[in-house]
Amino acid sequence: MDERSIKRSILSTSADEKRIYKSRIQKFSKSHKLYVLFFISLAILQFIAIAFFIKGFLLTRNVLENVSTLNDYTSILESNPIFNNPSDIAKFDKTVIVVIDALRFDFVIPVDESNPNYNPNYHNNFKVMYDHFNETSSADSSLLLKFIADPPTTTLQRLKGLTTGSLPTFIDAGSNFDGSVIEEDNLIKQMYLNNKTVYFVGDDTWDSLFHPFLSSKSQPFESLNVWDLDTVDNGVISYFEKELISKKNNQKEEKEWDVLIGHMLGMDHVGHKYGPSHFSMKDKQLQLNEFVTKVIDSLDEDTLLVVMGDHGMDHTGNHGGDSQDELESTLFLFSKKQQMWNLDPDNQETLYNVNKLGKHYRQVNQIDLVPTLSLLTGLPIPFNNLGWPIKEIAKNFDEDRFYTKAILNQLERYTHTIGIEPPTQEKKRLLEELWQQAQNDTTLGHDYQIELLQLYRDLWTNFDYYSIATGICLLTISVILLVSVTNLIPSIVVNQMVSEFVPSIIIMTLISNVCFHGVYYVFHQPLFINNYIWGTLFATSIGIILGICIPIFDRYNLKWLFTRVIQDLLSDYWSRIAATFLIIHSLLFTSNSFTIWEDRIVGFLIITFGMLTLYEFVFLPNRQSSNNSGLLTATISENEGTTSGVNASTANSNSLPITRFARLLGGYHSITLIICTRLASLITVCREEQGEYCVPTFTTKNNYSLWCLSLCFLIIFMIPACIKGYYNLSSSYQAAAPIWIDVFLKGVLFVNFLYWAITGFENTIPEWQYDLKIFKLTIARIVTGFSLIASNVGWIMGPLCIKLNVHNTDVKSHQATILGYTNIYGSQFFLLIINSLMSIILFMKPLAQLSLFLMCNQTLSILEIIDLLKLRENIIGPVVLALVSYQQFFTTGHQATIPSIQWDVGFILSDSITFPLTHLSLALNTFGPQIIIALSVALLTLWKQPPDVLKPQTLLGRIVSNCGTLIIYNTILCLSSFIWVTYFRRHLMVWKIFCPRFLFACASLIVTQIVITFGTIAFASERLIRNINDIFWK
Amino acid sequence: MSGKAKKQVKKRVTFSDDNTIVRQSHRKKNIGHEHPPVYVRKSLLTIPFHLIVLLYLYIYHSDYSTELLLLGLIPSQVFYLVLQFNKCTVYGNKIIKINYPLVFISLGGALLLSVPTLIIIILFGAPFLEHIKESWLLASHCCFLAYPAMYSVFNCDFKVGMWKRYYVMIVLGGWLSCVVIPLDWDRPWQAWPIPVVIGSYLGAFVGYTLGSYI
Repeated sequence: MDERSIKRSILSTSADEKRIYKSRIQKFSKSHKLYVLFFISLAILQFIAIAFFIKGFLLTRNVLENVSTLNDYTSILESNPIFNNPSDIAKFDKTVIVVIDALRFDFVIPVDESNPNYNPNYHNNFKVMYDHFNETSSADSSLLLKFIADPPTTTLQRLKGLTTGSLPTFIDAGSNFDGSVIEEDNLIKQMYLNNKTVYFVGDDTWDSLFHPFLSSKSQPFESLNVWDLDTVDNGVISYFEKELISKKNNQKEEKEWDVLIGHMLGMDHVGHKYGPSHFSMKDKQLQLNEFVTKVIDSLDEDTLLVVMGDHGMDHTGNHGGDSQDELESTLFLFSKKQQMWNLDPDNQETLYNVNKLGKHYRQVNQIDLVPTLSLLTGLPIPFNNLGWPIKEIAKNFDEDRFYTKAILNQLERYTHTIGIEPPTQEKKRLLEELWQQAQNDTTLGHDYQIELLQLYRDLWTNFDYYSIATGICLLTISVILLVSVTNLIPSIVVNQMVSEFVPSIIIMTLISNVCFHGVYYVFHQPLFINNYIWGTLFATSIGIILGICIPIFDRYNLKWLFTRVIQDLLSDYWSRIAATFLIIHSLLFTSNSFTIWEDRIVGFLIITFGMLTLYEFVFLPNRQSSNNSGLLTATISENEGTTSGVNASTANSNSLPITRFARLLGGYHSITLIICTRLASLITVCREEQGEYCVPTFTTKNNYSLWCLSLCFLIIFMIPACIKGYYNLSSSYQAAAPIWIDVFLKGVLFVNFLYWAITGFENTIPEWQYDLKIFKLTIARIVTGFSLIASNVGWIMGPLCIKLNVHNTDVKSHQATILGYTNIYGSQFFLLIINSLMSIILFMKPLAQLSLFLMCNQTLSILEIIDLLKLRENIIGPVVLALVSYQQFFTTGHQATIPSIQWDVGFILSDSITFPLTHLSLALNTFGPQIIIALSVALLTLWKQPPDVLKPQTLLGRIVSNCGTLIIYNTILCLSSFIWVTYFRRHLMVWKIFCPRFLFACASLIVTQIVITFGTIAFASERLIRNINDIFWK
Repeated sequence: MSGKAKKQVKKRVTFSDDNTIVRQSHRKKNIGHEHPPVYVRKSLLTIPFHLIVLLYLYIYHSDYSTELLLLGLIPSQVFYLVLQFNKCTVYGNKIIKINYPLVFISLGGALLLSVPTLIIIILFGAPFLEHIKESWLLASHCCFLAYPAMYSVFNCDFKVGMWKRYYVMIVLGGWLSCVVIPLDWDRPWQAWPIPVVIGSYLGAFVGYTLGSYI
């Protein structure tokens, strides 16, 4: 007895009925195509929104890897021979650099006690630098300047700026992520290339940035522990004692270093911990004062001392933003040689005016330090530099002219190589004019640099608010459209409307493209739309919005849609719970702590759902059953269902109370869901910020440990057994199911276990001799090929999970039961989920595979619960599934940070980075749970759905509605992350916490959109519904 | 408790799908609600002031010692039950005098109930084995907060569903108070289980105060 005989027996009906069936299925195919096109256009709208937002928010800069050399000076020296050769430029042999984190400018100048902002805790304590600068005796020369940092005022970005002379952005395209070694040309690299030995002590950010260029005798200190005020400073002080201060009187003892760098964090940490107006700030400043005095005393004549801060602090002691207090820092240049700095004695009072906390004091840009130091120590100016040498360092006009020429030369080379055009013609002309002027008269060179710097600053440090706003608006509109189409408007009406949507979208897109380009051509496009590509994207999105709005507002008005949200969408208990979950999840991005702990919070929400359903099954409170738009159509079509032969009790089972057995079963499923969620949440790879409150369990040691691998061996049998259990609940474990579950899945899991066991042994057994690379690659490719292609092709053939049971007790009757009839849709669709599970599990590390096993149970339990509580059309189903996908993202060893991407997985399918293979493995590894959930969301409708009850079109409408809700969930998360990352754009943690989370939100929205549109709706639903209706039609 | 609920299943109405939907309110008054067999009188006497006093002492004078708080809670809940709560509970048409053996049996019951509560707390995400003492303290706080309601459950038959709301309010208070745990304020009161203890006290306060109105 197979499906063919059933088919034959049923198909032998009259020609009339056949015709009706044919027309029905044709109608279905047509509306299916329209649905797919509609979802594609919505996806395009959302992608455009994301593109605009990213363009405005993620400032990128191309990092050029060119490196300057001393020969760059040669041509200038030929025309301007003040030095004999490039190596003579240097005025100092040795350099001592002391970076004092968060050294605000008013800390170091005298402040009048009558000033309203005077505070004895941080004013007039650190006086040594101003005293040296101010004293008239000419025994040495010193220069104190206000030092203006560029936002963002975080230490990593500032260090990059201070050494490259450029304006670092979040993504320096071309550099590798995780804050490691700078690739672009910088001061430290130049020192190294020119054979200077660099000793470093202090903040370990330097070590991660400049590791190859620093001497091995350097001493980096842990910088993360903000509460520790003294360790780093004491380390720096004792290091300086050893390398510099103790060698003061002992000239013969050779100093091994050419450059000595110390980075002190104490002041910054006091600021973070107590704020500046605390007495420990005074202690810290007095300590630093003493230290700098000692350093000054111990210098010799050939040594240049640079003391500087990397940024300031605001009145709370924090930094990261762009307020005046955070930007103003200090630069102090000192030498024992006399008359090194060319101070204008006439203007000294006005230039270096310390009144009003130094409001009108002469200021220089932080990046100006780079060319200044390069010229003073005779190094080439780093290639990416945009700064201008401080004018006081040129002792006479000749030197000044030489410095100007050198820097102009370098700027020209840079602008020429990077090839960025000014945005307007006007600006371009201005720049060319200034360049010509500078060529003729070097004193005007600075004007050119100021203008050039402004140009790059606009490009790299100013967010493009118009693009950001466009992105947010487009995404908001897309949410509203999605909600109205998939949840507010009854799906029967949507069925009719889809045929209007598609033509109107196409027409409106064309029209708006023509209009917008016409307007741009005549007037000028607004500045935030850089070129015709962005113009087209903008016009297309407007066209899609109009195209969807026209059919909607043809029938309804805004007020009606709004009242439906209140009256229907949120009218019942479970929808309100779902809305609460969604709101809680989207509000997590309002604080960095909530974002950090998202993994726990999501698990907490799923467990809350489990507890609520458990309560429901145990106490069965008297609730109005849900009555949103879905049920409306459900009732109608179920009545139709009864006319088509199914008895009334099956068709109207939605209105019957839950039986005692069902309650027992439901309670069991709730407990399974809770326990699986709790167990899965034990697997975590902690993020740095979770600190001591989190113990990572997803470690290489655990992953390849014996117990973990043996659990992996167990899941070869456990996953099939679990799925089989759920299938048996509706006696669907028939025909194709054993083949898929018992043969395919088990086989793939076994090979997968082999693969990971070998990897595990390679990792843990040191004397492992065998080179099994070829073997591993082969089995990985076989599994991927089988599960991604072969098994899906098999699925297209339509594997049914039913069986005719003719073992009747009554011999005379000719009735036969069809086993698995009630779950005919669900059991077949789940085979597709098994396919995706098979392809994803290979790319998961052993602990993550255990997590996926738990995920299978979670998903199936949720499906059963939703079915028992009759919540198929409720928004709670997709919402809980979305929560599961996020929880599983975290429990498969990921976090919303860039370093937690499991790069090593990229080499499962290939030896080196090859385009589709590496990217495919990384995508499946990172977004595996999202993909599985995006497919299983259709099961909310299909699980336990007998044939004959619903028309194909109704079924499709319901699937689309649930898919829409899942997309809405992801979109709202994405929208919320857009809004909050913009709000926190100057937050200290924006690049570490909010920005990666926003990138993750974008990526998961895109993945969900693509899988739902092309996988769930376009491919799977169509095949499945046609397949089953080919057999069971009436 | 579930037997009653079953009778209340209602048939649904169908309605058309354009904007002239006719909606009917299904919220009929519970039949017999005017004279329920067991209810709590609406009276100021039910307000559990001692919970606020205990919280005040807990926060400002005990250095967040959760054990001490429990020692304070148990006798004061007994007094609250005997002097306040029981006097407001109406069984049928009369107020039953306090049943002293049951008072002590309920105390034992609350203690026993703390074990399943502990399991639920762990399932919700409390650390599994470390801090199990703190988790258990929290569980017993929750149980003793529910103690007056538990006495009433024992005192009437188990089918009276109205006592659930007191438990629900305590759980809700604890659930909501989890918000402050992840915040990075580094305050001493953010340590496990202090926020949840305070939250469930507040939940219980609201529950006992407003229980008769809900």
